[in-house]
Amino acid sequence: MSPDVLEGFAQASLPMSLVSTAIGVLFGLIVGMIPGMTISTGIIVLLPLTFVLPADISIALLLGLYVGGMTGGSFSAVLLNIPGTPSASATAMDGFPMASKGQAGRALGIAITASFIGGLFSFLCLYLIAPLLAEVALEFRTPDMFSLLFFGMTIICSFAAKSLVKGLLSGAIGLVIVTIGQDPVMGTARFTFGDVNMMAGIHFLTAMIGLFAVPQLVENLIEMRNDKKVEPTQAKLGNVLPRLADLKRMRVPVAIGSFTGSFLGILPGAGGPIAAFISYDYSRKSSKTPEEFGKGAVEGVAAPESANNAVTGGALIPMMTLGIPGDPVTAILIGALTIHGLAPGPLLFMERSDFAYGIIFSFFWANIFNFIIALLGLRILVKVLSTPKALLMPAIAVLCVVGSYALRNSFFDVYVMLFFGFLGLAMKWLNVPVVPLLLALVLGRQMEEHLRVALTSSKGDASVFFTSPISLTFLCLSVASVAWSFYSERKKKPASG
Amino acid sequence: MKRKNIIAGLALIFISVGYAYLTTGLPIRTLPDTPNPAFFPWINTGIMLILSVSLLTQGLFYTEAGEQKVDKAATRLTVISLSFFVIYLLILPSLGFVVASIPFFAAMMLLFEERRPIVVAISSVAVIVLLFCIFRYGFGVFLPLGVTEGLVP
Repeated sequence: MSPDVLEGFAQASLPMSLVSTAIGVLFGLIVGMIPGMTISTGIIVLLPLTFVLPADISIALLLGLYVGGMTGGSFSAVLLNIPGTPSASATAMDGFPMASKGQAGRALGIAITASFIGGLFSFLCLYLIAPLLAEVALEFRTPDMFSLLFFGMTIICSFAAKSLVKGLLSGAIGLVIVTIGQDPVMGTARFTFGDVNMMAGIHFLTAMIGLFAVPQLVENLIEMRNDKKVEPTQAKLGNVLPRLADLKRMRVPVAIGSFTGSFLGILPGAGGPIAAFISYDYSRKSSKTPEEFGKGAVEGVAAPESANNAVTGGALIPMMTLGIPGDPVTAILIGALTIHGLAPGPLLFMERSDFAYGIIFSFFWANIFNFIIALLGLRILVKVLSTPKALLMPAIAVLCVVGSYALRNSFFDVYVMLFFGFLGLAMKWLNVPVVPLLLALVLGRQMEEHLRVALTSSKGDASVFFTSPISLTFLCLSVASVAWSFYSERKKKPASG
Repeated sequence: MKRKNIIAGLALIFISVGYAYLTTGLPIRTLPDTPNPAFFPWINTGIMLILSVSLLTQGLFYTEAGEQKVDKAATRLTVISLSFFVIYLLILPSLGFVVASIPFFAAMMLLFEERRPIVVAISSVAVIVLLFCIFRYGFGVFLPLGVTEGLVP
C-alpha cells in the first residue's frame, strides 16, 4: 500500500473528519427523508459552513450528506409512500406495501442494509478504478481535454427528458453565462458592463443556490396550499434488524443493484433514479417469484436501495479523475473543492494524492456511519417527518441568502442568487431542465480554455481534434450520445401536426 | 406548451441577438492564427440562435401534449413569496441581517400557513438570532450589521 493511501486513510480517520462525516450523514438522513427537500438543498444549507472549514473537513461533511441523503430518501418512501428523494421512488413500490402490512421496521432495516452493501461496493470501485483512470487521464493533451469536456456536455441530453431542444438550450444559456467576466486565456473583460464584481464572473455555487432552492421553496408553498400535506406516519416500526432469511433473499438483488448502481454512477447523467428502477426491473426478472413485486417483496426494496447508494461512489469516479460531474451533487462537490483551491481531475491524484485518497476514505467512513446512525437512530429520526414546513422553508430561504453572501462577503452574489432564482422559476414554467445549465456552468469555462489553447498551439488548425485518437474517440462518443437522445425523443413521441 | 414555446423561442432569439451585439463590441487583441476573446461567444451565439429558432418552430408548427391551464392561485403565491424575497434583499444591506431577517422569516411562516402569532414571533426571533450567532461567532462569517452596528460585539 502506497504512503499516500495510508496518509489519505489517516486524514479521513482524524477525529474532526470522522465527526464531520457523521454529522453530514445525520444531516443527510434528515434531509433525505423530508419530502420536498433534496440532497442538493441539504448541501445548499451546509454550503456556508464549507467556506470556513478546512477542505478535508468540508468534503467529509458533504460526502456524509450525499450518502446519508440517499438512504434517508427511503424512510419516507417506506413510511409515507412519498419518496424523500427521486432516487427512492422505486423503493416505495415495495417498501410501502411492507409498511402497510405492519412491517415498516423490516422494510427500513432491509433498505439500510442494502444501502450499506451498495455503498461499500461502490467504495471499492472508487478505490480501485479512480487512481487507474486518473493515470490514463494524465496522458490527455489539450485537444483531448476539450473533446472530453465536450462529451461531458452531451450529458445534457440525458437530462433533457422531455425535449432535446430545451435541454440543449439550457446548456447553451449556461455557456453564455460562463463568458461573463475575464476570459480564461487572455484575461480580457467580457460582458462586465464596467462592473468590478462582474470581472470575477458568476460563481456557479451562487447560481446553483438560486436555481435549485428558490423554485423549490415556491413549489413547496404551492403544494402546501393545495393541501398536499405530509402527515407523520402512525405505523409502528417493529423489528428493524433484518432476519437471516431476509439477508439470504437480498443477496441477488443487492448484487444486481450494486453492480448496476456503480456502473451507472460512473456514466455521467444516469443518476440514482435510473439505477434504482433498472435494478428493480432486473431483480424482478431474475426473481423466482416476480408476482410478489409491488406487494411488499424484500427484493423490491433491496435492489433499488443498493443501487442508489452504489451510484454515489460511481459518480465520484468521473468527478475526481476527470473533473466531470455526473449529477448536481457532484457538481457542487467540485465547487466546494475549487473554493479551497483544489481542482478535481487527474492532477489531483498526482499533486495531492493524499487528499484524493482522503476523499475516498471519507466516502468509506460515510457508508459505515450511515449504516450505524440509520440503524440505531431510526426510531428518533423518523420523528423528523413531523417537522413543520412553516419552520423549515423560511429557514432555508434565509440560509440561501447567507450562503450566497458568505461566498465572497458580497451582496452582489446575493443578487446573482436572486436572479438565478427567477431564471429557475422561468425555466420551470417553460419546462426547461436546469441541470444542463448547471453542467455548462461547471464545464464551460474549462471547455473554452482548452478549445482556444488547442487551436492556438495548432495555429488555428481544427484538425488537431480529429488526429488525436483520444480526442476523436470522445467526439465520436459525443455524436453517438446526441444521436441516441435525438432518436429516443423521436421514438418516444412522434410529432403531430 | 405551444404558447410557452413560442414565448421562450422569441425571448431567446431576442437574447441571442443582444448577446451577438455585445460580442461585436468585445476588444480584439490577439496573436496571429489564434482565436480572440470573442471566438467562444460567437460560437455560443450561433448555437443559441439555431436552438431558439428550433424552439420557436416547434411552438409554431407542432403540438405537444399536456397543455396546462394557468393556476391563478399558484401564480399569486409565487408573486407574493418572490416579492417578500425582493423586499428582504433590498432592505438587508441597510437594516442588517438580524433586523431585516426577522420580519422576512415571520412573513414566510405566515405564508406557509403558520397562524399562531406567538409561535411565529418566537420562532422568527430565535431562528434568526441563532443563525446569526452560529455564522458570526462560530464560523466567522461577517453578516451585515446595518442598524445594529455598534450594538453587536
